[in-house]
Amino acid sequence: MTGEPSTDSKEAIRVDGVTRTYGDVTAIDDLSVAIGGGQYHCLLGPNGSGKSTLMRLILGLTRPTSGSIDRPDAQIGCGFQHPNFYPGLSVRENIHIFARIVGADDWDWNQTVVTELRLSRALDREAGDLSGGFARRLDLALALIKKPDFLLLDEPLGALDDVSQTRLLDFLGRYAGDGNTVLVSTHEITEFEPYVDRITVLHRGELVFDRRVEEIPLDGDESLQSYYVDTVLAREGISVDED
Amino acid sequence: MSLRSLLRKELHWSKRHIFVLVFLLIALPLFFAGTSFLFQDVIPREVPVAVVAEDESVSSIDMGLVRAGMAPYTEPKPAADRAEALRMLERESVYAVVSVPPDLRSGETTFTLTVDGSIVPFQSSSEVIQNLIELELNRIEGADISIEREIVGEEKQLPEYLLPSFLMTLMIFFAFTYVPYNVGRDEVVLDRLRVESSLEALLASKLAYMTALMVVPILVFHVIATYYGYAIESFHPGAVFVLLLSFAFMATLSATVVILTRFSGAGQFVNLLVMLGLIALSGLAFPLGFFSPVRTQIAQLLPTHYAMVAVRSLMLKDSSIATFADWIAILFGLFVLSLFILEGAIIYYRRES
Repeated sequence: MTGEPSTDSKEAIRVDGVTRTYGDVTAIDDLSVAIGGGQYHCLLGPNGSGKSTLMRLILGLTRPTSGSIDRPDAQIGCGFQHPNFYPGLSVRENIHIFARIVGADDWDWNQTVVTELRLSRALDREAGDLSGGFARRLDLALALIKKPDFLLLDEPLGALDDVSQTRLLDFLGRYAGDGNTVLVSTHEITEFEPYVDRITVLHRGELVFDRRVEEIPLDGDESLQSYYVDTVLAREGISVDED
Repeated sequence: MSLRSLLRKELHWSKRHIFVLVFLLIALPLFFAGTSFLFQDVIPREVPVAVVAEDESVSSIDMGLVRAGMAPYTEPKPAADRAEALRMLERESVYAVVSVPPDLRSGETTFTLTVDGSIVPFQSSSEVIQNLIELELNRIEGADISIEREIVGEEKQLPEYLLPSFLMTLMIFFAFTYVPYNVGRDEVVLDRLRVESSLEALLASKLAYMTALMVVPILVFHVIATYYGYAIESFHPGAVFVLLLSFAFMATLSATVVILTRFSGAGQFVNLLVMLGLIALSGLAFPLGFFSPVRTQIAQLLPTHYAMVAVRSLMLKDSSIATFADWIAILFGLFVLSLFILEGAIIYYRRES
């Protein structure tokens, strides 16, 4: 069963039978998945499961060894695992430069992004001098300035403090609620659980499951995180004793 | 104990970066030691000199005798007439023109050795060559030959002569150091730039911007030349165009190396080596006749040599740009070709990502 968006193909990013190998290593193995429909979508998997490779494939930064990826004619924004910005420029300059590159001239929206990500007091600091948390927030701001229809974020909570995490999660929840699709790559779904619509789990490059949250058979008060961990462990042939 | 551990760390690093060390410790010394054979003579012995008959009455036998007499100290080049010979002189295809008068073996005869006043390093050498040729030609039976030295164009001073050379050297330096540095600096933001724009757009903007920036050092040279009162056209539009075109061509090549080596340190080393090679082998400062035949042949294969000659002639002699139209067209063609090679490198980069 899949949690594929019930939209027509023009509004979804469709990954069709994609395999990506690096030498002898298969990072993604015959994966098919669709992303779209204004869902808050979590791409979940342990380290080395192929999440970042899939993100890079979707963004066109890596070419599939086989298979195809159809991207709609829509704006796609991205936040990277390793923040991407000009370290020699200030936060403000980075935002201005990338706003011009992507043709984002809605300065009210840019101000909203800066405020929501609590970047105001760092605007004139050199980006290379930012702490890990601020660097992450700047990277997210650059992903958001063009108000993308698809927002792809690779491990977005890394280096963020609790307050920043909460504000970001709320913001992303509202952003997805406005009809935009948010795809978040993570190995820890607990923080996203209240917001997420759909989960796709990868393990060693293979699709484990792709379901809407309401389709996941949780037992009692079992959390999505423990369900995911148990599923992955079972995949690795490790049985988990039930209480 | 700590020192030993740190030395071990250095050894470990060396093993991991063996190619860098091989390049620095073996390839680079090999390059410098190996190219030493290119510098063979102190006195120029292979200076190309055009030999042209003064009129149609000069016999082919006399022309042959003159060429044979000049051969030990020069490389005689045939020219159809004096106009063609002077054009060769302007393009530095030859560094002197010898006009052969008729009746070589019928007593007192005067030859003319024409040299360009702007080629300063050749002035003293041309006097030596004048004496040597005179000595050699007087061995011809029945000949009583004297050679008059004629200087065409305005005589320049050495600083005036060297200014275009320094400017071209600077273009090569910027193209193979600053451009790779600047392109490599964007690696940290490359993923975002590739998503939001494209590698092509990124590199096109960089190359266009940096080529435009090169007007600044050219202007600085112009200001200095004006300040010192140098009698050269240091901001000759044609020369500026050739300098910028040369820079754009070389910058495209260095950017291609950066992309092909995937922004690695190896690319910086390759660019450094190319830069050293171009500066050493293009014959930027001295006439080609000063160098060994091998080095002359190498220089004649390098577009930077022709660009240098064009820039020097335009600045020092106020030549017409039409004189160098063929060379400039080839340089432009090479620039276009380098753009295609860069695009190929980008496609390869994407394919391997």
